[in-house]
Amino acid sequence: MFDPHLTPSDAEQYILGALDSELERKLEAHTLVCDACARLLQQEALLEEQLREVASATPREATVIRPARWRVGRAAALVVGPAMAAAAAALTLMVSRPGPVVPGTVQESRVVLSLDLPVELPSMVVACPDLTTQESCAQSAAARGLLVQYPLGMGEVPRYEGSAGLPSGALSSQPAPL
Amino acid sequence: MVGAAVQGLPMTGRQREDAEQPAERAQTGEEELSRRALGGDRRAWDALIARHQRRVVVSLLARGIRVDRAHELAQEAWARLIQQQQRGLLTELRLPNLALTQAAFLAADDARRARREAIAGNVEELLERQHPVDPSVSAERRLLSEEQLARANAALAGCSPSARNVFLLACDGQELPHAEVAARVGLSVQRVRQILCEVRKRLRTALEEESHV
Ligand SMILES: [Zn+2]
Repeated sequence: MFDPHLTPSDAEQYILGALDSELERKLEAHTLVCDACARLLQQEALLEEQLREVASATPREATVIRPARWRVGRAAALVVGPAMAAAAAALTLMVSRPGPVVPGTVQESRVVLSLDLPVELPSMVVACPDLTTQESCAQSAAARGLLVQYPLGMGEVPRYEGSAGLPSGALSSQPAPL
Repeated sequence: MVGAAVQGLPMTGRQREDAEQPAERAQTGEEELSRRALGGDRRAWDALIARHQRRVVVSLLARGIRVDRAHELAQEAWARLIQQQQRGLLTELRLPNLALTQAAFLAADDARRARREAIAGNVEELLERQHPVDPSVSAERRLLSEEQLARANAALAGCSPSARNVFLLACDGQELPHAEVAARVGLSVQRVRQILCEVRKRLRTALEEESHV
């Protein structure tokens, strides 16, 4: 199996969860000894992540009936804050990290939400944990109306921002143009 | 192993008995599980983990993390969520987002540790499994550009309405099991996966176009 290497289809089936557990185990084992196949698997995983992003940016009310979850955007935005603050607190307890002090980190838990929120906020949370790309990541996410989470900070609580800057059409009830 | 649990646990026997209302059932199932997990029910946690584990692992693989380390980090992410619940720090469980964020957090921590070790010249001391698949890929995953999104949306619009529906059901972030998607749209699981592969192919092409320009 996977001898000598994975095919793109193998990797795709793994990502989709379509392999039985035995094949899955073999595929995983192979990627640990073969860099080329590890990269192939990474590419499939990356595509899968990108597809979630595409799906989250697609107007869908017209085609998918999904009552409960879609109304909770606002509540979710408010609730994720404390929960992840707790996550951050747990992290600082368990991980000692003598890293550099992060400029501009906030000292208190803060949920920044404008008052004229649309009824539906995207429920997708984007983590921007890498300091070197955090700013561009956050800007890009905010521009798309995604919830941004800033997990870094030396013991400070992460900052959350909800943005109402939804892309035009995101809340449209029209079907996507064909 | 994990995959089998993901496939087997959540919704299998159910699709036949209530084909008329699978959407609400799935919704209730997830909410009920979350409620019980918040109350400390370990079996509810196990079911939620089984349901969302693959997504968490895949998100880590996408960051260039080796598969064995990805499983470890995913387990750690769940352990921390359970720990937070036990301390009364979780007021609501929004999955998979909470687990994804926690895992991304741990991955970033791994990456920082690796950088520090590299700077200190202790690269050999790093556990091999902590080396990323591709060192040029940081733990940060870049968001799609507006152009990529626009191309992807155009490609999606070119799919049949039912294919688009399957894709949105499967990829909207709730991690609906494929069996559940199949029950909702009245297709077989195999057909649902075929459709997903077709849509993935179109979107892959759309997303990759940029690199050829
Ligand atoms: Zn190989």
